[in-house]
Amino acid sequence: MTEPSAQDLLEDLGRLATDLAPAVRPVGAQRLLASITESARQLFGARACSLALLTDDERELVYTTASGDGADGVTGLRLPAGQGIAGWVVVSGESVAISDVSADPRFARSVAEDTGYVPRAMLAVPVLVGDQVLGVLTLLDRDDARPGAEHDLALLSVFAEQTALTLQTDSAFERLGRVLLQALGSAAEGGSTLAEAVERAATSVPLADADLAELATVFAQLQRQGPAERRLAVRLVREVADYSGRRSPRLPR
Amino acid sequence: MLPPVPVPDLGMSRSWAFDGASGHGVDVAVVDSGIDTAHPAVGGLSDGVALHWDSELQDVVAVEGPHDDLFGHGTACAGIIRRAAPDCRLHSVRVLGERLTGKGVVFAEGVRWAVRSGCRVVNLSLSTRNEDLHSLLHDVADEAYFAGVVLVCAINNVRAASYPSQYAAVVSVAANDATDPYALDCNPSPPVEFGAPGIDVEVPWLGGSSIVTTGNSFAAPHVAGLVARMLSKHPSLSPVEVKAVLRAVSRNAVPVSGR
Repeated sequence: MTEPSAQDLLEDLGRLATDLAPAVRPVGAQRLLASITESARQLFGARACSLALLTDDERELVYTTASGDGADGVTGLRLPAGQGIAGWVVVSGESVAISDVSADPRFARSVAEDTGYVPRAMLAVPVLVGDQVLGVLTLLDRDDARPGAEHDLALLSVFAEQTALTLQTDSAFERLGRVLLQALGSAAEGGSTLAEAVERAATSVPLADADLAELATVFAQLQRQGPAERRLAVRLVREVADYSGRRSPRLPR
Repeated sequence: MLPPVPVPDLGMSRSWAFDGASGHGVDVAVVDSGIDTAHPAVGGLSDGVALHWDSELQDVVAVEGPHDDLFGHGTACAGIIRRAAPDCRLHSVRVLGERLTGKGVVFAEGVRWAVRSGCRVVNLSLSTRNEDLHSLLHDVADEAYFAGVVLVCAINNVRAASYPSQYAAVVSVAANDATDPYALDCNPSPPVEFGAPGIDVEVPWLGGSSIVTTGNSFAAPHVAGLVARMLSKHPSLSPVEVKAVLRAVSRNAVPVSGR
């Protein structure tokens, strides 16, 4: 029996990290995002605040989090990323403040059809990591008579930065194996054999398997509950494993 | 209101700079999301080009001819310029489309297209924070400057370094709260050099509509329009002289005679 090579070990380490990531992932990214939109809405005295994220293929904006008027209607809504005011924010990476959108009949109609709430004024800022746009944070009908309201675009951008940090942390856990090995690679001296080996291993680590990720998430949930629940869960999972092992005896252990 | 800024008293008043002028004969490019030619506030275009990144060719491709404005932003900028310089020749250089890939180089190539096609004024209500583009855009800004082309750049609405508005070769603009379109301010503490109306400005938008909006994006075209107006009356002014006139006609400028 030969010893596994360093390359194999690194790849195993990467896979292990990715598979276990959901178990150690900080809880409540979604709750944190909901809290960001809700606190922005309250601070600005706005009727609504929403977060839309750009899909991986950059074709759509998906409204993932919303608070205030029309929140139920907007959550889950998918819109083409290359259109309208939010589309402008995505492609330009610039923020925009509109005091009266009602003069644009096309905008008013499409928003009413989608969410049931037609705003008069809106602020929209990009959620950015460096120069990369992750999404758009939008505030509807804020109280613009508040002292300091003229600085609201800059202030809303601070909320967008918080949003970007939350999203970045969450996504790092989704691909923990690669993130870990890439960090090792950059810590090792550039151009060294170790750095090259680690980088090679990083690219070969597959992205998370959805079923395994869910299982690890459930384990993490149990870990936060009491010892009795954990013992019950272990017994149940063992039963399931034994049963399925008997049903498909050819599967590797 | 910005603090007073002393400027040499060379007789360059607002009326010397702009009176009787209309932008006639001056070509102005709007490097943006395209322009809706049919909007009554735009009053027609001379020509246009739409640039995009071709991932197969790994290069920027330019398609000359009419195109739409996908967002309304370019139409808004064009309308503001048209108000200040009703007889200028407007050119649409569309650098923002539906895809994000390669947008930095597309942006740089769009400015180069405007310079090559003989525009004297280029409005850039766009900027990038991507440090990798710093050197490329710096070269583009210098090329424009030496070709006698005035690049008017909006600074980013958020306080972060963005390009090309940070460069000395361009005219950088932020919004002030004035309503008079001639109400410029000059900033004694650059890199933002000028203030122009950009708060609650009524601008043309998509589908023949108009909206009321705020941002440095809408301050820059006020200056671009005034520069076009100035160049139609004083065509030999270089970019540095244009800047000197803009300073001299600012609201907070204090003329100082030389003895």
